[in-house]
Amino acid sequence: MSEWQKKTPLEWLTYMNKEVTVLAAEKHQYQGWVLTVDPVSANILLAHPLENGKMSISAVLGHAVQDVEIVAEAGDEMKEKLAHLFMPEERQRQRTKALIQG
Amino acid sequence: SNLSSLVTANPAELEREQEGRVALRKRYLRSLLAMTGRPVNFTMYEKVNVGALFGASDIDILNFQVSELKTPLGVQKEALLRCSDIIAYSFEL
Repeated sequence: MSEWQKKTPLEWLTYMNKEVTVLAAEKHQYQGWVLTVDPVSANILLAHPLENGKMSISAVLGHAVQDVEIVAEAGDEMKEKLAHLFMPEERQRQRTKALIQG
Repeated sequence: SNLSSLVTANPAELEREQEGRVALRKRYLRSLLAMTGRPVNFTMYEKVNVGALFGASDIDILNFQVSELKTPLGVQKEALLRCSDIIAYSFEL
């Protein structure tokens, strides 16, 4: 088991809402905002805003994580965005709001 | 992480850890729900990349059930991907 998989939930929580660089197996590298770490699989879930306003979501599987480095801390607006990403009604509401505000 | 819970003597600390576990897990399960029916790209070991429509996962996150799996040999209507073969996966929201 890797160091990353051996961490406790409280340790994983400290990565939430942080921008990180993840070094994975076979030299793959991923960057994004940490949405969560699944406490069962240690999979780390990242959000990466795209230019078209969409979000790219990637997950690096716990067994493939070699190193996680914190690059930045999310501001309130980003935290809010991350918190509501997987709530369907919320997303629709935000999209409508964005449309109205143009 | 299960072991760490066992050796945590302080009940308040244990409760905090359990609450943390719940918050983390909940958000992950929601992401799986959000992924259902969407095209997902899987980065496998040995430089293999495949695309498929995500179906479901088992509770231990050991296997992903997918459909329309695009492989170099053609399209597999239904397939099961072993999570131990996957390095990463991604989709758009």
